[in-house]
Amino acid sequence: MKTTTNCHHCNGRDFLGVECAWPAPDCLGDTRRRDAARRRTQLLRAALVLALAAALWQFGQAGYIHAKAWLAQHLIAQAWAQTRAGGAPARPWPWADTWPVARLSAPAQGVEVYVLAGADGATLAFGPGHMYGTAEPGDFGNSVLGAHRDTHFAFLQWLEDGSELELETAHGEVLRYFVTHREVLDHRDTRPLAQPDSGRQLTLVTCWPFDAVRAGGPLRYVVTAQARI
Amino acid sequence: MNTHLPGSARRWHDLLEIAALAARIFLGGLLVAFALAVLTLLFAAPSYAGEGDTGQGTLIIRLPDGNGVALPALDTEVAIRVNGPLARTRVVQTFHNASDGWQEGEYLFPLPENAAVDRLRMVIGEHVVEGEIRERAAARAEFEQARASGRRTALVEQQRPNLFTTRVANIAPGARISVEIEYQQTLEWRMNEDGGHYGLRFPMVAAPRYIPLPTTAEEIADAQRITAPVRHPAAGPAINPVRMRVELDAGMPLSALRSPSHALRVDAPHANRRVVEFADGAAPAERDFVLEWTLAAGQAPRVALFAERGQDVDHALLMLMPPRLPSDGRPLAREVVFVIDTSGSMAGASIAQARAALALALRRLRPEDRFNVIEFNSITRALFDAARPASTDNVEHAARWVRKLEATGGTEMAPALAAALGGAADPERVRQVIFLTDGAVGNEETLFRLIEQRLGDARLFPVGIGSAPNGHFMRKAAAAGRGSFTYIGRLDEVQERMSALFERLEAPMLKDIELAWPDGAQADYWPRKVPDLYAGEPLVVAVALRQASGTLKVGGRGPQAAWSTEVDLGRAAPGSGLGTLWARHKIDALLDLLRSGTPEDEVRPQIVELALAHRLVSRYTSLVAVDKTPVRPADAPLQGGQLPLNLPAGWQYEKVFGQLPTGATGARMHLLGGTLTLALGALLFALTRRRNAFA
Repeated sequence: MKTTTNCHHCNGRDFLGVECAWPAPDCLGDTRRRDAARRRTQLLRAALVLALAAALWQFGQAGYIHAKAWLAQHLIAQAWAQTRAGGAPARPWPWADTWPVARLSAPAQGVEVYVLAGADGATLAFGPGHMYGTAEPGDFGNSVLGAHRDTHFAFLQWLEDGSELELETAHGEVLRYFVTHREVLDHRDTRPLAQPDSGRQLTLVTCWPFDAVRAGGPLRYVVTAQARI
Repeated sequence: MNTHLPGSARRWHDLLEIAALAARIFLGGLLVAFALAVLTLLFAAPSYAGEGDTGQGTLIIRLPDGNGVALPALDTEVAIRVNGPLARTRVVQTFHNASDGWQEGEYLFPLPENAAVDRLRMVIGEHVVEGEIRERAAARAEFEQARASGRRTALVEQQRPNLFTTRVANIAPGARISVEIEYQQTLEWRMNEDGGHYGLRFPMVAAPRYIPLPTTAEEIADAQRITAPVRHPAAGPAINPVRMRVELDAGMPLSALRSPSHALRVDAPHANRRVVEFADGAAPAERDFVLEWTLAAGQAPRVALFAERGQDVDHALLMLMPPRLPSDGRPLAREVVFVIDTSGSMAGASIAQARAALALALRRLRPEDRFNVIEFNSITRALFDAARPASTDNVEHAARWVRKLEATGGTEMAPALAAALGGAADPERVRQVIFLTDGAVGNEETLFRLIEQRLGDARLFPVGIGSAPNGHFMRKAAAAGRGSFTYIGRLDEVQERMSALFERLEAPMLKDIELAWPDGAQADYWPRKVPDLYAGEPLVVAVALRQASGTLKVGGRGPQAAWSTEVDLGRAAPGSGLGTLWARHKIDALLDLLRSGTPEDEVRPQIVELALAHRLVSRYTSLVAVDKTPVRPADAPLQGGQLPLNLPAGWQYEKVFGQLPTGATGARMHLLGGTLTLALGALLFALTRRRNAFA
């Protein structure tokens, strides 16, 4: 059987043209079937190229998001060093509409991130954002920080009650906070934004659940930490 | 590839190839992504943020005190008596305790920014307790003591010239306590070709205010005082119904009367008089009540003079409308800077009004004008680096930019004001700053000081936007900016109001106004320095003098010629409450001194003395009413707290108070998408191979 198929396979690489006792009809005059076959092959090839390009684009996007998040933090680190040295807030790149306002670290998780001013989508791509309208990080009152659960705030899922957080302010003050409360809330619930009457509080907000594939769900994971000096 | 390989080996080979391809694609993608990120980010060294645009502040969110703690219910009744350009208003706030425990309540409410509050009465059924004027701390102590000892008590404090709090304690189970407040005010009066226009504005809800950078304990305490919990609109229908009755006596035949804010039921017992009520009986406290009326053409007086005889001194109030000045025909060379507030409080109806007003204003520019547009919320952004000529291209570009403006974020007004007033001013041009905002900020004093310091030759024209603008901010910012203010409460008012504003901007002004009082009058008049008057604006002066007689000479200077007139003080109409109005004007002027650097120790005793003499609620004095006998048993607990407010009509809760930040990227979705398309690619690859091998 094998020889029969092979000797009639005139498009194959091993076909010499005369292997069979009779020529295959495909290899003689009936070009209609051959052209159709070729067209199908070409179509498949085009679809393959398209699929690969789409895959490339998708992976590129994902890579871009992560690369941006990672790289921006390095630039912000430089801006932070300048801010700390010069006093005036430095922008990490000239056209940035944000600047670092604090450095947040979780020693047990080995995480160090620079917090930016403003918690809108454009800012959160580069780092955790401090929500306008809440107390300045390190100040008395409640400072609310938001970041993405799959980049800068992925470590929130490992925090437990009593976990330590360290915050360095632009004045060089280093404050130690301890997690007191964790909860899951709807994004419209503004209770985590309320200002306490006394004390320094840090509220870290990210999306929940952590392992969801889709972004933009309605739930938020809220970690509250109190300063202890 | 070798087709002679056995089937299983070939499959392995294919799989390997697919895996290698996938890895290559993934690495390539990462590389491209990395290169992209490098390109977009890694261009230059960090640069410094502009001075002043790092400010961040607070919109204090106060939740209803305690969970499930019953609060008294509130309804309000307002009776306004209008007599010419004067009004006396009685506001009755009734606190109703529907629970079976003892209650107390605190209510934050606005009044007109020029209201002189001089009376408080606490009414419990038939029993009336008259309020006393005290220094603020003393009044508070008296209230706290009465509250603790179980006596019924009420306290009215001023937090801002247009923002007050009422506190009521020891409301018996099932009982009501009414707090009656009375105030005196002068009305808005403007004149144009078709006659005199009067406006009455009764604010009904204290809009949430943005408070930048409260740092000191005093600032934080102040922020708490001007903040109340705000109900989410989804939590049910609006609370605090207000019933309104306006008895209007214009003294002249009225030609028109309307309210852009509420549906009215109007009675006309006489050509000069109207009685106005809400058509629906009561309206929720969620937007300002605005009433406007026009006097019949040709009938409108140019002078309104009222006098009140006193024992030692007489008090008088003069409102004088200068004639329309002839223009010198030369259009003013000017630079117009538009500043638009795009903070969260402007979201919804307000930003639509502001955008429409700005679009209209841009069309009114002349080609020889220069202009710029600045928007601000948490950060300040200017359309152009510096003012540009109002060419068709530039104006079109600006109009497109304005159409795209969205409202979100905080209200950091200071950097925007500094940007609008600062910069290299062209000495050949008049700089006019048109400032569109709802004024929902808590740091008014700082901003007024900034305006005064940076104004130079510029002029500031605040345009109050929305259903509950901060009237105190509009009036004082205009005064500090030596301009004039306008309100836009609805989209269909934009055209009329902006046209009126532009007419005022383009018409010549009356400057260097001076008053010469009759000899021996010993006139103590306020404002001491009369501001420049824009076309159609009256001169308003309150005076205390030995005797209201003789002739007052008023003079000023227009672009073409001098203007002067004489007023016979003896022909004043009798008025009441003028002493209160005079004291209110004087307190205002004293507070202005405070802003220009006079130490508080000098100003405060003068204000306290004046306010105590005229029973006026002020920054340093409050009214307190205390019942004689204790009613609450010593062992019965007192429940309650601050009453929640409605969100002003047209506002969007989430834009004002924010929502929790979004915390996930699309990376995972992309990875999933990439994997799926890669799998599809692998399938197609296998198919093409199979075709090649077996076709």
